[in-house]
Amino acid sequence: MSSKLRQSATNEEDDCKLDMSPMIDMVFLLLMFFLVNATVVVVKQDAKVTPPVADKSRKAEDGNGRIVVNVYKDGSFGTELKQPLADEDAITELVKVQKEKMDLLGYKPKLHLRGDKDAVFKYSRKVIRAAAKGGVDQVVFAVYVTGK
Amino acid sequence: MARHKKAVAFDDDLPALDISSLIDCTFLLLIYFLVTTTIQKREQDLDMTLPAAAPSESVPDIDPKFIKVDANGAVSVGAGASQIPMDSDPDSRDLPLLTADLQSYASAAKSAGSNSKPLVQLYVDGGASQQRVIDVLNVLAGVGISNVTFTDLVDP
Repeated sequence: MSSKLRQSATNEEDDCKLDMSPMIDMVFLLLMFFLVNATVVVVKQDAKVTPPVADKSRKAEDGNGRIVVNVYKDGSFGTELKQPLADEDAITELVKVQKEKMDLLGYKPKLHLRGDKDAVFKYSRKVIRAAAKGGVDQVVFAVYVTGK
Repeated sequence: MARHKKAVAFDDDLPALDISSLIDCTFLLLIYFLVTTTIQKREQDLDMTLPAAAPSESVPDIDPKFIKVDANGAVSVGAGASQIPMDSDPDSRDLPLLTADLQSYASAAKSAGSNSKPLVQLYVDGGASQQRVIDVLNVLAGVGISNVTFTDLVDP
């Protein structure tokens, strides 16, 4: 084997080496970005409802025990899983069933009212009244902290 | 020298894994998720407890504060003849007049004694917007008043 041939063989070996460290750096950076940005889902948010804005609200910490009722702009009601609720009686029934489940699990039930900002208040009042009939008197209004 | 040659030959026999296609695929997936991701706005809580959940056996020393929210978004304080109009611009999220009034009420309740927790009764017209009611509740949360009740109305 001549020295020239030997040299070209070593060159080829050098070319094939792939430096993985920058890629790993980048992957970890992206991972950290998503970890920092990630939020724990407290309740499923129906995109059809735009909650009002309240800057004195507090961070939603505990997702347990929440009975979600969506109040849409047109005054119709829906559950967390977007199933329609016909009237106050349906809401009371839902609250009663959910309350029993929460009581068994040891969570304090509360009404998580996701009312659209443009809906009129009488519909929210109907939900609060129906929940009170079902035995739930803790109400949490879902709000955004800023309008942007 | 002979031993060295053997070692080199052994290295050459090791199977090499070509990971370039894996990296291509990973980047494609990463770009796909970056492009399709929509950032959902974070929702927060504004709490309220209905009076049935916090019953009080003793009569408070301080009178409850009545706040009325009209269908057009005008906010007033007091009931009947002593009603005082407060903030009336429904597009403004701040309610400076109501905030000042509630602050003086809260401090009066604080100085009155331990049996005088500030209590607010909200009379909301059925046609008022959800945002306007939340504006008032926001002011109450800011002032630190947690005892809030809604006048139960049967809306048409």
